[in-house]
Amino acid sequence: MSDFVKLDKLTLAYGDVVAVPDLSFSIGKGELVALLGPSGCGKTTTMRAIAGLMAPKSGSIHIDGRDVTNLAPSKREVGLVFQSYALFPHLSVYENVAFGLKMRKASNIRERVEEAIASVGLSDFTNRLTPDLSGGQQQRVSLARSLVVEPKVLLLDEPLSNLDARLRLEMQLVLKDIQRRTGVTMIFVTHDQSEALALADRIVLMKDGVIVQEGSAEEMYNAPRTRFAADFFGFENIFPGDDGQDRAWRPGAITLGDGPFEGQIRGMSFGGDYRTYVIDTERGQIKGAVRADLPSYKEGDKVRFDLPMAQAVALDAG
Amino acid sequence: MFDNRTTGLLLVLPAAIFAAVLFLVPVGILLSEAFTGPDGGFSFGAYVDFFSSDRNMTVFWRSLRLGLYVMLTSAVIGYAAAFCIVQLAPKSRGRIFALIILPLMISPVARTYAWLVILGRTGIVNQVIVGLGLSEDSLRLLFTETAVFIGLLQLFLPLMIISLISSMENMPRDVIPAARVLGASWFNVFFRVIIPLTREGLVVGGTLVFAGSMTAYITPAILGGSKVLMLETLLYQRVTVANDYASASVIAMILVAMSVVTNLLLKRLAKPRNRKVAIQTKKVEAMT
Amino acid sequence: MNTSRTASWVIIGLTLLFLIGPFVVIVLAALTNGNNLAFPPEGLSLRWFIKVFTIESFRDSFVISMVLAVFGTLAALVIGVPAAYAIVRYKVPGAGAVQLIVSSPLIVPGIIVGLALLRYLVIPTGFTIFATLFLAHTALILPYAVRVVTSSMQNLRTDVEEAALILGCSRLGSFFRVVFPNIRGGILAAFILGFVTSFNQVPVSLFLSGPGVRTLPIDMLAYMETTYDPSVAALACLLAVMSVGIVFAAEKFLGFSKYV
Repeated sequence: MSDFVKLDKLTLAYGDVVAVPDLSFSIGKGELVALLGPSGCGKTTTMRAIAGLMAPKSGSIHIDGRDVTNLAPSKREVGLVFQSYALFPHLSVYENVAFGLKMRKASNIRERVEEAIASVGLSDFTNRLTPDLSGGQQQRVSLARSLVVEPKVLLLDEPLSNLDARLRLEMQLVLKDIQRRTGVTMIFVTHDQSEALALADRIVLMKDGVIVQEGSAEEMYNAPRTRFAADFFGFENIFPGDDGQDRAWRPGAITLGDGPFEGQIRGMSFGGDYRTYVIDTERGQIKGAVRADLPSYKEGDKVRFDLPMAQAVALDAG
Repeated sequence: MFDNRTTGLLLVLPAAIFAAVLFLVPVGILLSEAFTGPDGGFSFGAYVDFFSSDRNMTVFWRSLRLGLYVMLTSAVIGYAAAFCIVQLAPKSRGRIFALIILPLMISPVARTYAWLVILGRTGIVNQVIVGLGLSEDSLRLLFTETAVFIGLLQLFLPLMIISLISSMENMPRDVIPAARVLGASWFNVFFRVIIPLTREGLVVGGTLVFAGSMTAYITPAILGGSKVLMLETLLYQRVTVANDYASASVIAMILVAMSVVTNLLLKRLAKPRNRKVAIQTKKVEAMT
Repeated sequence: MNTSRTASWVIIGLTLLFLIGPFVVIVLAALTNGNNLAFPPEGLSLRWFIKVFTIESFRDSFVISMVLAVFGTLAALVIGVPAAYAIVRYKVPGAGAVQLIVSSPLIVPGIIVGLALLRYLVIPTGFTIFATLFLAHTALILPYAVRVVTSSMQNLRTDVEEAALILGCSRLGSFFRVVFPNIRGGILAAFILGFVTSFNQVPVSLFLSGPGVRTLPIDMLAYMETTYDPSVAALACLLAVMSVGIVFAAEKFLGFSKYV
């Protein structure tokens, strides 16, 4: 990967509280990268530092070969779609989108703004005041406002979290389409692994300001390397093996009805295509998911099960 | 982004310096004057002199008394009025609320002046009293404590009503019906649900009314005259009639101390509301 | 249910009668055709309302009060708005102390301020009474300005300003293009509140009056002491109408009450 966006030994702190110690990573041009992690892991802080809203204690940030570490946000050529959208409440859709172009004293403002508004499908709302729009529409205005100035990097803070399921899918497609059409480098922050998996070319998983693991969506999903990563990506059963190494299984990887181990059904939740059982065992509680068309168990039933080695993911210590 | 302390300080400084130089410094000098003896050293002499005068003590106790009476009366009327207003449909509630705060926008001189017409020798009240044969002659109502009390009550009642309305509006929905369903009488509803839940409003309103009444100038000046002096009218009189700056400084100290105490009270007592309200709500919830 | 509704309206009615009734009385008393302040009025006329405008000291003090209220409030906003902005947005060192100092004019009774300024500013430095009145009124309004603007700032999220910065605004530019348009209502509300407060202010101005320099309410008090005719009632009516008119218009056009 090239180093289109490059963070080098970045340390970010609020007063004396260090949120991100010594962070380094690079992002290639045109990549769509997710910064993933639980709240407080430093992902939003990192994003704000890239945007220039927060001055790093030490380290550097380069965008397209230029050192932007000490540059004002307005000089960095980045766009940021805030989680709250941060539209200017006193301005119309048109004026919101035109804002950045006016600041840059750009030419063809009208044409470019109208094109940007059309590209997010809001041409009918051009002259509305933004507080009158729905959340989804506000987000698209925010997107158009950020993109119309043709930033080198587009940052998005939890872009899908405020949307309902249907709008989420729509917005995913819009973002993918933007990536394809404009080739802009995108970094988005999320706490939701499913969002990261659905959107990102590459996922950077963070915990306590440190990168735990990074890789493609498939690598992350299939081969988490630590307990934390495994847990984050849905490996709900993690046990130390006889050889001392931790291994993790998804609920779906557990076979029920047969096997060397025995447990007792503690509870069940019905998920449509499958049922998930919570089972008390000698090793502690495990979760097993079974296709719903297979015979079901009742609470209290004794059940045999297997933790198939072929389906296990071996984890690093720690 | 907004963690640059210097910028913040620079923006605040003009206002802070202005208020400090123009306000705190002269007021500080004035207050310190009462502690300065004739020889220029530190002395409580002015305080001793002030509090050993019967006339001053009369005024002092009168101010306290009137403040207390006005506060208590406005609390009683305030609860009744606020409770009725909160029950109204939003539209009429807004209108009535506007009428309640309307007097606050009007010059207190104009507000108090009206009572001259109502309470004067030939005023409405005396016309009614004489007309009904309750008294042969018209009564002297003006320049009495009653007149000052009425004037202060009219002046400050809206503050109490507003505070009570705002804390009643913040009461959790349906606690009153909930208490009623649980068998509470209206008496119990009032004392066990409404008052605890609106305590903050009561404290805030009460403090505002008490402090306002005690430190009022216009109402005692117009309706009390030189017969019913209160602290501020006494201060004015001491300075303009007797050039008695020592007494003026002592009164100033009393007024400032009162004001500081009431403001601290407001800050302290108003804050725990959220916690209290939460606890109260939980209590009621647990009962239902 | 119906009786309690009636009772409720009776209570509200009596409260309003007590609060507003006196104004009705004063309006009627001012409309009298007679020479004395009396109720009911002896015949109706507007002569006392006209008389008010012919009393020179009222005219002079009206102008003084007007100038103090308008320019004092503007001055308070000029220093108060940046302070309010900083208090909301920045971690100001000693913010608590600063806020206490700025709001001290609310805590110290006005009569004391007036006396203190008279004794320690006017007398020793020869500062004019009018200039001192102006400074005193500015200081008096300052806490209102800071408070109202602070509360209207609070609804404006920080990220809106950050968005402006990212889109190419300077700090100052983002204040004028993004913050100011959104707190305009609050600033206007602060102006109206400050104006009404200053215009009707008595205690601060009590000691700060000198030859030819007197605010209108002080002048009214002085007039009342010597003359018992309905002209003060008429003036009180006119002032009440002015104050209420301003506040009513403010409420109608900008929803004043949500800022105060």
